[in-house]
Amino acid sequence: MIQLFNVIKNYGSGKPALDDISLKIDKGEFVFLTGPSGAGKTTVLKILFGWERFEEGQVLVQGINVGRLDAGNIHTLRRSIGVIFQDYKLLPNKTVFENVSFAQEVTNRDRKTIKFKTWEALKNVGLTPKKDSFPPQLSGGEQQRVAIARAMVNTPPIILADEPTGNLDQEISIEILKLFEEMNRNGATIVFATHSQDIMKPKKHRVIVLNRGKVVSS
Amino acid sequence: MNSAIQALFIGLRTTISNIRANKQTFLISVMTIAISIGILGLFLIVFFNLNGLLTSWNQQVQLVIYLGDDISRSQKSDLEDLFKLNSKVQSTEEVSKEKAWQEFKLKQMDRAGVDLDLGFNPLPASFRIRFTVSDNRSLHIREFAEQIRGEPGVESVEFGEKWIGRFEKFMLICRVFLLGVGILLSLGLILIISNTIRLSIYSRQDEIELMLLIGATPRFVKIPFLLEGMLQGLSGSLISLGLMGTIYIYMKNEFQPSIESIARGMEFQFISQPFLLILVGLSVLIGFIASYISTYQFMQVLNKR
Repeated sequence: MIQLFNVIKNYGSGKPALDDISLKIDKGEFVFLTGPSGAGKTTVLKILFGWERFEEGQVLVQGINVGRLDAGNIHTLRRSIGVIFQDYKLLPNKTVFENVSFAQEVTNRDRKTIKFKTWEALKNVGLTPKKDSFPPQLSGGEQQRVAIARAMVNTPPIILADEPTGNLDQEISIEILKLFEEMNRNGATIVFATHSQDIMKPKKHRVIVLNRGKVVSS
Repeated sequence: MNSAIQALFIGLRTTISNIRANKQTFLISVMTIAISIGILGLFLIVFFNLNGLLTSWNQQVQLVIYLGDDISRSQKSDLEDLFKLNSKVQSTEEVSKEKAWQEFKLKQMDRAGVDLDLGFNPLPASFRIRFTVSDNRSLHIREFAEQIRGEPGVESVEFGEKWIGRFEKFMLICRVFLLGVGILLSLGLILIISNTIRLSIYSRQDEIELMLLIGATPRFVKIPFLLEGMLQGLSGSLISLGLMGTIYIYMKNEFQPSIESIARGMEFQFISQPFLLILVGLSVLIGFIASYISTYQFMQVLNKR
C-alpha cells in the first residue's frame, strides 16, 4: 500500500530532513508515526501526498510512483488520500456543511451525491446539529471533527493525519483517535503522526519512530 | 451533468464569490479597462470619421483631361472610345474652350480688380470624367490618367493626385498610430488585470492550496480566475462602449449639420460593428491572458516545492 525506498529529502541547508529512509505500511494498517520535533514526520506525510518533492529514492502509494507524477496528474494520487492537519485547514467563510461538500466538488461529483455524502460524513463525526455553523464558532475538537469528515467523505483508502490531536486536550484527543480507529475498521489505512505518548499508550497499533530524518524503530 | 460543464458551473459560482470578496479591486480594474478601451475607441472613432471624410472627398474627385488646341476630330473620337471602353467611367462631359472661359469668368466675377479682357481665350478644351463609386476609385483614376496622358491630342491630365497622396499617407500614419496605441494599451491592461487577479489569488491562497490538497485538478483551480479576468474585460469594454455610444449620439445630434457642410453626404460615424466586436473580444482576450499569466505563475510556485 505505502512503500518508501531510500528516500532523501533536503530543504537546502544542513542535514537532510529525510536521510535515506525506507519503510512499508500494509493495506488496512493503522500506524503511528512519531518522533521529536524536526524528526521528519510531516515531511514523510507531505511526500506521501505529493506536496513535497524528494531528491532520491522511490515512493509508492497504492501502486503509484509518486516521484513520477507531475502537476497535471498529481490529483489522481491526492484523490485516494484523505489528509488531516493539526491546524484543521478549514475555510472560515464556509459553513461546516460547505467545508465538507467542498472536498467533493473538486472531484466533480453531482450535487445530489455531494449532499448525501456530506450528511453521512457529518453524521459519522456527530456534527449534523452544527452543519450551518462557521468554523470560528466551533471548538477545537469540533473543528478537527469537521476536518475528519472532510477527509473521509470521499472514502479514500488512505488517511494521513499530521498531529491531528496536537491542539486538543486528552479527553477530546481520545475521541478523535476513536474516529480514526473507526475509519480503520472500515478498511482505511491510517498513518497518524503524533508526538503524544498518551495517544499511543494502549499499544494497539504499530509505531514507527523517526529521529533526525532516520527511522529509529519500526 | 457533464464534468466539464459542472467544473465551469462551480467555477462561475466561485468567480462570483471572489468578486464579492474583492469588490473594490474588481471595480477599479473594470474602470481602468473601461478608460483604456475608451481611449482606444475614441481613436477609432476619429479614424473612422477621417476615413469617411477621405472617402467622401474621394468620391467627388474627377479626372480632367486638357486637350491641345490642335487636336483633330479623329483624335478626339479615339479618346471618347477609350472612355467608353473603361467600365469604371461613369460619365464624361466635354468642356469646350468657350465654356471653360465662361465658367472661369463666372467664378471670377466677384473678385474686384481682375481684368478678364485679355483679347484671347487662354483656356484649353477638356473632358471631365467621373468614375463609378468603388473602394479602389482613386486607383482607377490614377491608372486611367496614366493611360490617357500619352495619347495624341492630350495636353495634360489633372485629378488632385498630390493632395490625395498626402491624405492617404496621413491615414496610413493614423493607422500605424492606432495600432501602436492599441498594443501599448493592451500591454498596460494585461499588467493591470494580472495584478488584480494576483490579489484575488493571494486573498484565496489557503482555499487554493486546500483545493489542490484534496485532489482538484489545475484546470479546476484556474477556471474561476480565468473567468474573473474575462469578466473584467467584458464588463470594462461594455461600460466603455456604452458610454461612448451615449457621447456619440449627443455629438451626432449637435454636430451632424456642421459635418454635412464640410463633406456633403458624410455621416458622423460610430465604431463599425465588426470593430465593436473586435474591441469586446480583444478586451475579453486580454482579461483571459492576464489571468492566465497570474494563475500560471502561482501554480508554478506551488509546483516547485
